[in-house]
Amino acid sequence: MTDSVMGLRQSTVPTKLLLIGGIGLLIFIILPFVLGDFQISLLAKLLLFGSLAISLDLVWGFTGILSFAHGVFFTLGGYAMAYYLKLNLSAANNTYGGELPDFMVWNGLEVLPWFIAPLKYFPIAVIAMIAVPALFAFIIGTFIFRSKVSGVYITIITLAISSALTTFFVSLQAYTGGTNGITDVSDLSFFGTPIPLTGIYFIIVAFTALVLGFSFWLTQSNFGLILRSINENEKRIEYLGYDVARFKIFIWTLSAAMAGIAGGLFVPLNKFISPVYLAVAFGTQVVIWVAIGGRGTLVGPLIAAVLLGQIQNSAEKVTQDWQLVVGVLLLVVVLFIPNGLMSLLPKQLSLSELTKPGPVSRESSASSGFVNAQVFDWATPCSQLIHVCAKTSVNLVKSTLSLFNINASGKTGRAKNSSISSIRRKRKR
Amino acid sequence: MLNFVSSAIFWPTYILAQEEAAAEGFNWPSLLNQALNGIGIVGILLLTALGLGITFGVMRIINLAHGEFIMLGAYFAFVMQEFFNLDLLLTIPFAFLGTAIIGAFTEITIIRRLYGRPLETLLATWGLSIVLQGVVKLIFTAQLKYVKAPPYLSGNLSLLNDASGTPVIAISYYRMFIIAMALALLGLTMFLFYGTSWGRNIRAVTQNRDMAKCLGVNTQFVDLVTFSYGCGLAGVAGAVISALKSVAPPMGQDYLVDAWMVVVTGGVDKLVGVLAGSFLIGEANAVIAFMLNDPLARVIVLAAVIVLIRYRPEGLFTVQKRA
Repeated sequence: MTDSVMGLRQSTVPTKLLLIGGIGLLIFIILPFVLGDFQISLLAKLLLFGSLAISLDLVWGFTGILSFAHGVFFTLGGYAMAYYLKLNLSAANNTYGGELPDFMVWNGLEVLPWFIAPLKYFPIAVIAMIAVPALFAFIIGTFIFRSKVSGVYITIITLAISSALTTFFVSLQAYTGGTNGITDVSDLSFFGTPIPLTGIYFIIVAFTALVLGFSFWLTQSNFGLILRSINENEKRIEYLGYDVARFKIFIWTLSAAMAGIAGGLFVPLNKFISPVYLAVAFGTQVVIWVAIGGRGTLVGPLIAAVLLGQIQNSAEKVTQDWQLVVGVLLLVVVLFIPNGLMSLLPKQLSLSELTKPGPVSRESSASSGFVNAQVFDWATPCSQLIHVCAKTSVNLVKSTLSLFNINASGKTGRAKNSSISSIRRKRKR
Repeated sequence: MLNFVSSAIFWPTYILAQEEAAAEGFNWPSLLNQALNGIGIVGILLLTALGLGITFGVMRIINLAHGEFIMLGAYFAFVMQEFFNLDLLLTIPFAFLGTAIIGAFTEITIIRRLYGRPLETLLATWGLSIVLQGVVKLIFTAQLKYVKAPPYLSGNLSLLNDASGTPVIAISYYRMFIIAMALALLGLTMFLFYGTSWGRNIRAVTQNRDMAKCLGVNTQFVDLVTFSYGCGLAGVAGAVISALKSVAPPMGQDYLVDAWMVVVTGGVDKLVGVLAGSFLIGEANAVIAFMLNDPLARVIVLAAVIVLIRYRPEGLFTVQKRA
């Protein structure tokens, strides 16, 4: 394994996908000039929920870890941002005219606690928004994944974490604002000028596009292939010498960081954050978006979050029992459409088809390479950028030991079959 | 805008119920009182977790709708009391039968299709729990309903009186009834599982489904009956608890996480594990709440359970099998 050469997929630019993505982005850029303020803020909120769903999809759809705790990561990021905005409230707007946020005054605190005070500064708040959820996830991840705990128990642990943290945040009223959370925060401002709603909307659209693009790129890389292999057959990947726990911890932490940023962007828009978003109910809502949209499709959860939110918004004017509809939808999807609504789309529109880079000759697409993806080896995904070198190395790899048969289409099913068959072939030898 | 608020914050009722037992300083009577309160919690936990001990512990079905079966049991008790003016104790058989029938329907339509796919089962039962909540809310509205406890079970049994005759250590008759009920149900279930041929069939099916099938056990029927029985027990729990707190559609959520923690702590193979698990969690909750405060006690207990799952996912009281 040590003398392996970097294995690379043939990556040509998937033109169709870029086209569709570009059109989608364009629509979202034009929308604020068409829609009213309420619709924009709703859409921005749903896009953030969509990003949250994408971050869960990385963990669940690709790696197979079902988590109810993504609402927790989201909310932790949200609290970091909420403290920043609350502490920067001008004295005139503050109920008690002082430095201290109103809920702290109510609860008899006299000085700002030392662990909240630094959040007054924007860079620190932004770092905390990413680092706190990531660190929390890293600790949990290290704790859970380096053990024999398996699938369902991990889910139960995330359920317990969500439940425990809700109780914790509600009980620490003086520091977190209790059940009400942190309300009446100031506007997010850019060097003194408050950013208008459209500005926040554009930031969120950019963030969502970034999350989608990054997740897509990550899952199409060799690293993503390992993740999918872990989902399909963890034991085999372990026997092949990969440190499965490390991969899991890494993607878990990364996804928590993404959820945290989404939460941080949620606060300037929503103007408050509360333990409601920590609770199990919100965590399951995220799971439902991913399940309905389609696991492992990335776009599916985003679409599901946006569509369900929009439908809910209009349905709630008609009926109060929207949750019942969601429940029935979830049941139907789990029982009859296990791959989610995205799988109902015609084949030509499916992700695997769209990622196909133009016509590639069978010869080059069948190139096999050893997957040299290490967790902290950032060079591996980056190497796609220098795929000029790839052609030579792929030729080298062809002749060397081949463990995985990666085809350029990036199709999960085919990749799985071919990887297994290549292993079988090896065994026979 | 999003409708999370209604069912979002889960305040376990038993924690609220014991708030009256706040104590000044460290004195033994109040600690004892708290321990007795803990026994009350143990009773509720045991009752709510017993059904789950069967559906998850024995059958390995991840049932997230367990709390909703408890809620259904409570509503059955409410309906029987409201329209037929029955004593609470007499509504219990109806609650059992009603929830068992709904459980059987669930098994046929949902659970059966998903055997061997735990994560899908988990999702489907979560969907079911949302549906059940929604349907109950449609029928009964979200308004709180109240169920009256029978008059002969009200009042407290005082174990120790101080000089002036006011009780220092007391336990309410209803809590004693809950514990008795829970223990009786546990005993009955254990008899059914380890003393009858039906129980042998269940154990055979869970140990080796294919082999049991070969030997002529109707596995589908066994699954159906066992799951319905587990749901029926949840219904009994709901009926008994309904007198302690108001009945509302999201009430089941309060018990779900705790029931899960109990089953996971106690171990999933033996039903005795449920008793041990509820005793540990209930008493730990009560004692830590006495020393610190209620929410912190809950956080500490949940954290302890997480650590426990990490090191012994099969539970504390499971004999290690040789693989």
